[in-house]
Amino acid sequence: MNHPVWDLPWMGSGWIIGLVSIIHVSIAHLVVGAGFWLAFMETRAQRARDGELQGWLRGRAKSLLWLSSIFGAATGVGIWVAIGLVSPTATQHLIRAFVMGWATEWLLFAGEMATLIVLVRAYGRLSPGQRLALVWLYALCAWLSLVVINGIVTFMLSPGKGWTASHAMVDGFFNATYLPSLWLRSCVALALGGLWAMAGRIPPGLKVRVLKPTALSVVAGILLAGLSGWFYFQSFPAAGKELVLGNLRGATGLAEGFRWALLGLGAFLLPALLALWAFLRGDAFRRSAAVFGLLLACWGFGGFEWIREVARKPYVIREVMYSNGIRVEQVSGYQKDGFLPANVWARTFAASKGDTDLARGEAILRSQCLACHTREGYRSLKALTAPYSESDLVALVQSLRELDPGMNPYLDRMPPFAGTEQEAEQVGKYLHTLKAK
Amino acid sequence: MSPLPIPAPDPLPLPLPPGVLKALLLATFTLHLMAVNLGVGGSLLAAAHALRGKEEDRDLVRRLAPLLPASVTFAITLGVAPLLFVQLIYGPFFYTASVLTAVPWLALIFLLMAGYVLLYRFVDSVETQALRAFSGIFGTLLMLGAGLALTNVTTLSLRPDLWAAHAAASPHGLRLNTVDPTLWPRFLHMAAAMIAVAGLFLAGWGAWRHHAYARRVGLRWFLAATASQALWGTWLLVAQPKPLLDLLLNANTAPGLTLWIAIACGALALFMAIPASQKGAPAKDAWAPVILALASVLGMILLRDQMRDAALAGAGFQAAALPHRTDWPSLGIFGLTFLGVAALLVTIFRWAAQPPGSPDTGKELS
Repeated sequence: MNHPVWDLPWMGSGWIIGLVSIIHVSIAHLVVGAGFWLAFMETRAQRARDGELQGWLRGRAKSLLWLSSIFGAATGVGIWVAIGLVSPTATQHLIRAFVMGWATEWLLFAGEMATLIVLVRAYGRLSPGQRLALVWLYALCAWLSLVVINGIVTFMLSPGKGWTASHAMVDGFFNATYLPSLWLRSCVALALGGLWAMAGRIPPGLKVRVLKPTALSVVAGILLAGLSGWFYFQSFPAAGKELVLGNLRGATGLAEGFRWALLGLGAFLLPALLALWAFLRGDAFRRSAAVFGLLLACWGFGGFEWIREVARKPYVIREVMYSNGIRVEQVSGYQKDGFLPANVWARTFAASKGDTDLARGEAILRSQCLACHTREGYRSLKALTAPYSESDLVALVQSLRELDPGMNPYLDRMPPFAGTEQEAEQVGKYLHTLKAK
Repeated sequence: MSPLPIPAPDPLPLPLPPGVLKALLLATFTLHLMAVNLGVGGSLLAAAHALRGKEEDRDLVRRLAPLLPASVTFAITLGVAPLLFVQLIYGPFFYTASVLTAVPWLALIFLLMAGYVLLYRFVDSVETQALRAFSGIFGTLLMLGAGLALTNVTTLSLRPDLWAAHAAASPHGLRLNTVDPTLWPRFLHMAAAMIAVAGLFLAGWGAWRHHAYARRVGLRWFLAATASQALWGTWLLVAQPKPLLDLLLNANTAPGLTLWIAIACGALALFMAIPASQKGAPAKDAWAPVILALASVLGMILLRDQMRDAALAGAGFQAAALPHRTDWPSLGIFGLTFLGVAALLVTIFRWAAQPPGSPDTGKELS
């Protein structure tokens, strides 16, 4: 990595992105679905001249504002903070490629917040027609912001040859996984938004009127998400698909986390059963069941995001940049002329520790390995290397320099070692010292 | 002396000319700062008046409080855009500083959320006055903590000469940039300005809506906070590294000229605010100090940018020299979205400003 490394012991800095993003991504999709749910219900309430339902929907809009303005917006900033800390080189590359996309999404987010604030704060000044227009505009802005962000997220999985040649935003944006992912995310949003609505405090007199259509939207969202998830998986690049299937067979070291992700995908289906209960016996349905269903669905969605990240390995932008921030075209140069001469922060770290061989080894390891590993904790290097002697470890790191998948069995999930043979030896020697720590 | 540890820039060109991106950065930062001043500074003012508890203060808080959460929402939303442009233009400096001080930087999110929750409690709570005031004050302090996290990264990003020592002393990113003598005066300068500008907004609103108390106390907050800048502002000035201080003290340089014009506008606003804040002063007297002080704030925003470029020029960085290749299709999409969202905002804010109570409004449900 070109930048300094945030060395977070035991947990690893990658988890910070995971924790912040699972909260943000869940809220961000939830508010999209909740926007369409609110618009649909307001339309129904106005058509039926149902004042009681409209009054209750006003409260839900206020609750939505609370959720999206405090936790949605702040965790959105949190994603920027987290990715900038953990993968500054990749973040900078993505911003250079997609700044106008993010700026467009920002405009839409501003529209989303403004429509919701006006709806909630100026409710008494608005005519029913204006309220209806506002709530539909809110839903549209929220969904369009998903339309934009989806282009950037899918680009990381399948950037496509067009972008690699032109570096034009539009070429990267409309990539092979764009449409299946958008369809899938829209369905997930529908399910999460509906579950959030069902988790609200519904007056007994309104329960059936609210729960029947809402439960239907949740069931539809979940079933369609399952179907579109399959199509999305089919659109994955072949190597990504192979990596996911390899994990499914337990063939790689990522299987432990993968099991949790798979359980999550199973958990995503359970809320459909809860929604069926709400549909059939709305008067007996309990909101605690909806809260439980919402948590299960968020877990399931987190599992899906984890699998998507697995499919991207060993890259942060597939075939463009490895997960440690080294661009694919930089590897051969680093292997020939050295990693340290070209990376000022690895040199600075080594110098701060006396510039010995071990200091250099640690500096290179921090830059190339700590994006995914820790020394002693999550994906512990100490545990993974425990059975090996110093010479074994030197030979292992040197073998990671191989760019031929036949010679380097880790290449499908781990970046190649980007340094000279001597630098590989320094890293191997440093790895050996972890045993004594 | 070893060269400064500045990471290599990303190889992709900028999608727009650096000057255009800089203009967008300054425009969005100005909007963000105004919303922050109103949201955070306004919260502090509202909490202080809630604590005072007289009838006129309670009335003031009742009118001010509903604006605060929306202001903070806009402050966060509007803050994302300059954050994006700073990363784009000054990436190597911004990312390095944020990683070196990772823990305080990450704390920003939690401070922001906790402060925001307390602010909502302050606005919507039916608790006692004292509890409400406590929520308001504590919430504001948390949000000021988020401001400190920002000032911390900003100051460190301007001092590549401090980076190597900072990294060696704090390998896990725990430390604040306290070695830099500009950290505390810069934060206090910003915090005092926040109170001053919130006071100005209050005074302007009071003059507009003929609310004499709001106008008077707004100007008094402005006076007290701006007068305190004699201390924080001077401290910040003398804490600058020598080459930057020389630039500021020389009125023939662009930063020097900007500084002295901004100070002149602020000082003039201060002197005009004294009679305008007295009981019985005509409402229209508030406008001149409000306009002059806002001009001073705009000058300071410009100065902040000039000083950043001057500091980084010392490290061999020239924003204007960054390579670019204009990406017209993405610019077109942005432009169309901008027009659409602008039309949307104008329409809905007109709806929000229409008089309540027409037969077909939703008032019957409120």
